[in-house]
Amino acid sequence: MPLTTPWRSRALTAALLAAVLTTSTACGDDAPGTSAGGSIKIGLLASLSGTYQAVGTEIRDGFQLYLDTHDGKLGGRKVDLIVADEGNGAQTAVPAATKLLKQDRVSALTGIVGGGSVAGVTPLLNETKVPLVGSNGRPELKDVSRVWHTSYLSDEPGAAIAQHVRDNVKGSVYAIGPDYQGGWDELRGFTDAFGKIGGKLANADGKTTFTPFPATTNFLPYFARIKASGAAAVYTFYAGSAAVDFVKQYAQSEIKDVPLYAAGFLTEGGVLNAQGDAARDIYSVLNYSPDLDNAENRAFVAAWKAKHDGSPTTYALASYDAAAVLDRAIGAAGSDPTPEAINTAIGQLGQIVSPRGTWQFSTATHSPVQKWYLRQVRQDGRALSNTVVGDLATVGR
Amino acid sequence: MIAVAAGTNRIDPYLIPALDGVAYGLLVFVAASGLVFCFGVANILNLAHGLLYAIGGYTAAALLDGGWASLALALAVGVLAAAAAGVLLAGLLTPVATGNHLSQALLTFGVALAGGSLLVAGFGPDDPQVQVPAALEGSVLVAGHRYAAYRLVFIGVAAVLAAALYLVVRRTRAGMLVRAAVDDPEMVACLGVSPARIRAGVLAAAGALAGAAGVLGAPILGPGTDTADTVLLLSLVVVVLGGLGSMAGTLLAALAIGEIQTLGVALLPSAAPFLLFAAMAAVLAVRARGLAGRWRTA
Repeated sequence: MPLTTPWRSRALTAALLAAVLTTSTACGDDAPGTSAGGSIKIGLLASLSGTYQAVGTEIRDGFQLYLDTHDGKLGGRKVDLIVADEGNGAQTAVPAATKLLKQDRVSALTGIVGGGSVAGVTPLLNETKVPLVGSNGRPELKDVSRVWHTSYLSDEPGAAIAQHVRDNVKGSVYAIGPDYQGGWDELRGFTDAFGKIGGKLANADGKTTFTPFPATTNFLPYFARIKASGAAAVYTFYAGSAAVDFVKQYAQSEIKDVPLYAAGFLTEGGVLNAQGDAARDIYSVLNYSPDLDNAENRAFVAAWKAKHDGSPTTYALASYDAAAVLDRAIGAAGSDPTPEAINTAIGQLGQIVSPRGTWQFSTATHSPVQKWYLRQVRQDGRALSNTVVGDLATVGR
Repeated sequence: MIAVAAGTNRIDPYLIPALDGVAYGLLVFVAASGLVFCFGVANILNLAHGLLYAIGGYTAAALLDGGWASLALALAVGVLAAAAAGVLLAGLLTPVATGNHLSQALLTFGVALAGGSLLVAGFGPDDPQVQVPAALEGSVLVAGHRYAAYRLVFIGVAAVLAAALYLVVRRTRAGMLVRAAVDDPEMVACLGVSPARIRAGVLAAAGALAGAAGVLGAPILGPGTDTADTVLLLSLVVVVLGGLGSMAGTLLAALAIGEIQTLGVALLPSAAPFLLFAAMAAVLAVRARGLAGRWRTA
């Protein structure tokens, strides 16, 4: 028996040494970013497992679609796309980002579903001086010098729809949402803008009602209060399975005839199929809809539908646009597109032509200044879909 | 006259939450009664009880297609699958000494984790959608208020289930053995009834009840990654509030939970996150043995 221990420890030492050697050669084998063949490494981090798998998959596919329709090149350089799994949040996202940034040494990072993951990854970006062109999650950040987003800020949908609700609803509006950071931001965006233009909330204490998240699956008690408040309309934000529960129960409740306005995620993507007829007539605000009438969007939707079932979502669009941003920035970064040069170039892009319409980065927040659209769930052929019924405000700061 | 009208107006908004509380309470009763039996009769702390409910829920999501036949099929499959899982649990628990709650908790908790992962692997990480029979999809008017038709019918079905359960426990030989095992397990063993058989039977019955609750309750407390935990938690609260060994106590506790979760939330929405546990603490502080019934540790 005593003989086995030294052998084991020796084997362990050997294995450890081998592991150390492998990683050190992996680290040493090439310079950051570009290689001699004119190719460039891009890291894509998205939730390919866990709760946000559906969103993460759309983000990966949106980016891939841009590459497929542009000869696999960004800025004239062949792209070596390295995909990593973000998982459910920062705990899994940070190790995956560390590998992309320090081992694979990518020139730019894109994707990232969760706001918490972005917050966790940001210090690494400053350490490695690599830019992030994020396509979804966007937390409150102090330093955005290397962080760009093609999506939106959480309080923008509500701010964009407030004027429309004020003009079209005769009476007070009940505000209700999930009790977590995303819910607070989404609802605050609406209630702040709505209050500023003289709108009145129907909520008993004049403040938004927040429901425990994700524990709330039964919204009937809240609907009873909305009924009692005499609200003329409801504004809300829910996503995922909570959105399905909310919409299905709303349609069977005693307030089913009260108009429902929402941030677009309430009826976006897969949840709309699950809600079915219950979602009919719901108004929502979003920065994109697959039926927008412009040449870029027609090409984008056609290319998407050739590869996937159903229409592209705002998640896929944001990732497609992230690829478009990198395409132009890498092209503008000159013969040696270092991460620093790409970051500088992103800041000088100006107007970006996109399927959602033309937009540009805000110099203060590094997120889009873009137009928002009012959509309504209507019959489109055999399926229900979010149909654009009007333009709302252009928001961004 | 005016005073009466004003009184009605004040009560009126809370009619639907109160009614919904009954539906939710009866669901919790059917779901939790299995755990209460296990704990009270076989002296088994089954932390995989929520998993048995989730099996029923996922079965409903997979089989229901909007027709009545699929509901009957899902009910049969869900009950059988959950009962089989209960028997399997009884088999796994054989080496663990009766009354050794720590080992039982560890073992069943491990089974719950593994089973939960298997369900997610099999059915995907998204919460699946449940399609109720088309005739029950709409809503009906109850005293001038709109209420989901399925939930109204569910109240009736769950009440019938509760009554049937009561009759089985009160009037059948199996029920007598169960009651006898609560009162004096040694004497029941002396009568020649094997404790292992009682254990397997009780766990199978608990599984069948949880499976039935899972299938029928899927449109109310739907299958998802958190379902097993939620149901286990609610069932444990039922045990704390209602005590062991009395069906009336279990029913009372379940209905109280239902009303707290609906009427309570409607009355005090800002307290919604901790209302249930505040109520539990209050009941324990006033009456340590629960709302009703005798507390038996043996």
